[in-house]
Amino acid sequence: MRYALQRFTQFLIVFFLVTFGVMVFMRIGLNKPGDPARTMLGGTVSQDLIDTTTRRFHLDSNYLVQYWYWLKGMLTLDFGYSNPNNLNVTTYLKPRVLTTVFLGLYSIFFALLVAVPVAVYQAYKRDRPFDKLSSFATFFFISVPAVVLAPLLKYIFIDWLAWFPRLSSKVYPWDNPMLHIKNFFVPVLVLTIPLAATWIRLLRADMVQTLQSDFITLASAKGVPPSRVLWGHALRNSVFSLVTSVGFQLGGLVGGALIVEAYFNMKGMGSLLVVAILSSDLFTVQSVSAILVACVVLVNLGVDLSYALIDPRIRHARALS
Amino acid sequence: MTNVIQAANRDVNGPLLELTDVKTHFRTRRGLVRAVDGVSLTLERGKALGIVGESGSGKTILSRSIMGLLPTKGTERHGSIRFEQQEIGNLGRKQMRHIWGKEMAMIFQDPMTSLNPLMKIGKQIAEPLRIHLGMDKATAWATAERLLQDVRIPEGARRLHQYPHELSGGMRQRVMIAIAMACGPTMLFADEPTTALDVTVQAQILDLLNDQRKDRNMSLILVTHDLGVVAGHTDEIAVMYGGKLVEKAPTRALFADMKMPYTEALMQSIPKIDDPSHTRLMAIGGRPPDLVNPPQGCRFAPRCLYTRDKCLTEEPPLVATDNPEHTYACWYPVGSPEYHESKARLSETPVTIGRLD
Repeated sequence: MRYALQRFTQFLIVFFLVTFGVMVFMRIGLNKPGDPARTMLGGTVSQDLIDTTTRRFHLDSNYLVQYWYWLKGMLTLDFGYSNPNNLNVTTYLKPRVLTTVFLGLYSIFFALLVAVPVAVYQAYKRDRPFDKLSSFATFFFISVPAVVLAPLLKYIFIDWLAWFPRLSSKVYPWDNPMLHIKNFFVPVLVLTIPLAATWIRLLRADMVQTLQSDFITLASAKGVPPSRVLWGHALRNSVFSLVTSVGFQLGGLVGGALIVEAYFNMKGMGSLLVVAILSSDLFTVQSVSAILVACVVLVNLGVDLSYALIDPRIRHARALS
Repeated sequence: MTNVIQAANRDVNGPLLELTDVKTHFRTRRGLVRAVDGVSLTLERGKALGIVGESGSGKTILSRSIMGLLPTKGTERHGSIRFEQQEIGNLGRKQMRHIWGKEMAMIFQDPMTSLNPLMKIGKQIAEPLRIHLGMDKATAWATAERLLQDVRIPEGARRLHQYPHELSGGMRQRVMIAIAMACGPTMLFADEPTTALDVTVQAQILDLLNDQRKDRNMSLILVTHDLGVVAGHTDEIAVMYGGKLVEKAPTRALFADMKMPYTEALMQSIPKIDDPSHTRLMAIGGRPPDLVNPPQGCRFAPRCLYTRDKCLTEEPPLVATDNPEHTYACWYPVGSPEYHESKARLSETPVTIGRLD
């Protein structure tokens, strides 16, 4: 309990520090630091509008006050106003967030779906042809950067095989599941392949080590069938690095998808952030980074909790502290 | 004490285990490692056999060879292993799996690393029961609780729901024994079962093993480097050196009349209670033989205090003493005229003897 409280306090501190930092640095970095409203609105605008905007977002008060009002807005899901998009940030942020979340969750899900069985089987058939071949393949795919993989897979699946439509606009699964899948297939594949390759290597190494443990020999000596030795005894003892890496990946979802978003012209959070920073779109930058920080910190919290879920020793050590 | 599962009534004629010229060789980059090199022995039902030797003598590999627990890759197995009158030496892991845990079970050296740290004790004991005897979960856990009683762990019901890290080393070794006993095996291997334990706990664990063996009419192979461990807990002792059996005798006969200088040296490396304090222990000089290129002749000859020319060129066969159950492999055994002659010569030049006062 004390542990959970401690973690939650940590979460809040990190969140406040980072979001406040982003706000301050965005304002310091402006072309005309003294006049955020004018920069934000851009171009030629009436003094009247500037005054209204300044008053509305308290842009003339000190940073702490501004931060306080922004935070209050966040709590009521009012993320502020974005001039380049001429929209309330909340309205146009939603589809962007969803696109990135779909990309990230799909790729992580499929990467795990592939990585776990392959790594387990590799470790089981260690140094046999399957292991050697797939070890080479994973090494290869880790080395191929996304900028190479993206055009390659686009060429194969979209241009040559023509299995998938040429990048239609965003479709939600609840609107048209089939089209949604077709739309996301290639971009997700680009993200999945290097992820899966990394995780296969990670998990295989840990599995190989676990399989040499005495308790694995004991499990065999009890007559436990190999599949249960692998899945019931060895895997759970080998997932710690994998869980950590999946956590990192979940947290860094947006940055990782940037190239893919840009290449496949998918409007996600990564591309949004880049454009927003370049056009001094204050509230968009603040909102997107707030979401990112929240993601990273929450996922880390989740990773920490899952350690305890997996390992009773960690659970007990924490209960004592 | 009531036991959970009585060993099924079997054909009680003939020995339980019969090894004929068992060899286990490993292919390595350096060459063929002859870890076990031609071991023959028999074990009767309900008897305890101690296999003694230093590290690298092949004792652990021998026990794992019998169980078929070695990796298949790079391992060559020769000779015949008959268990319950059935050849098992050529069986693969797939077939052995039905024997493992059910007919044959093994207790490992280190109870700290031999239990799955992420699995409740109860589940680990219940696992073989469910697999081999097809028990449902409730029955298996109830049986597990009674097994904990058998191995004298109090508060079994609570312990079942604990994880290995919540138990002491001695407790964990008891759990290991409970797991091994679960399906009522006829043959138990204990590989250095007490080496990792506190001295105070060692005797308890050995006594427990012995009681269980007698209660269940189970055969036991106790693998150890410590003659002291096997002395009170076995019927027979086999001494291994360099992958070979060098002496085998009923326990009492061995201690009364050991023939092999290696056995004698092992004996002398144990501190004796009536020695004055600070008496230097006799150590065996040198190192165990390289099993890729074992020495010609007797494998112990390079380290033996009584070596003669013949020892270095001709390998001594296993021969019996007056007692047909007592066999040894030595040209000039303890007690022979040559042995006494060498010993007399050695005592004139005390520097060469290990004992320095």
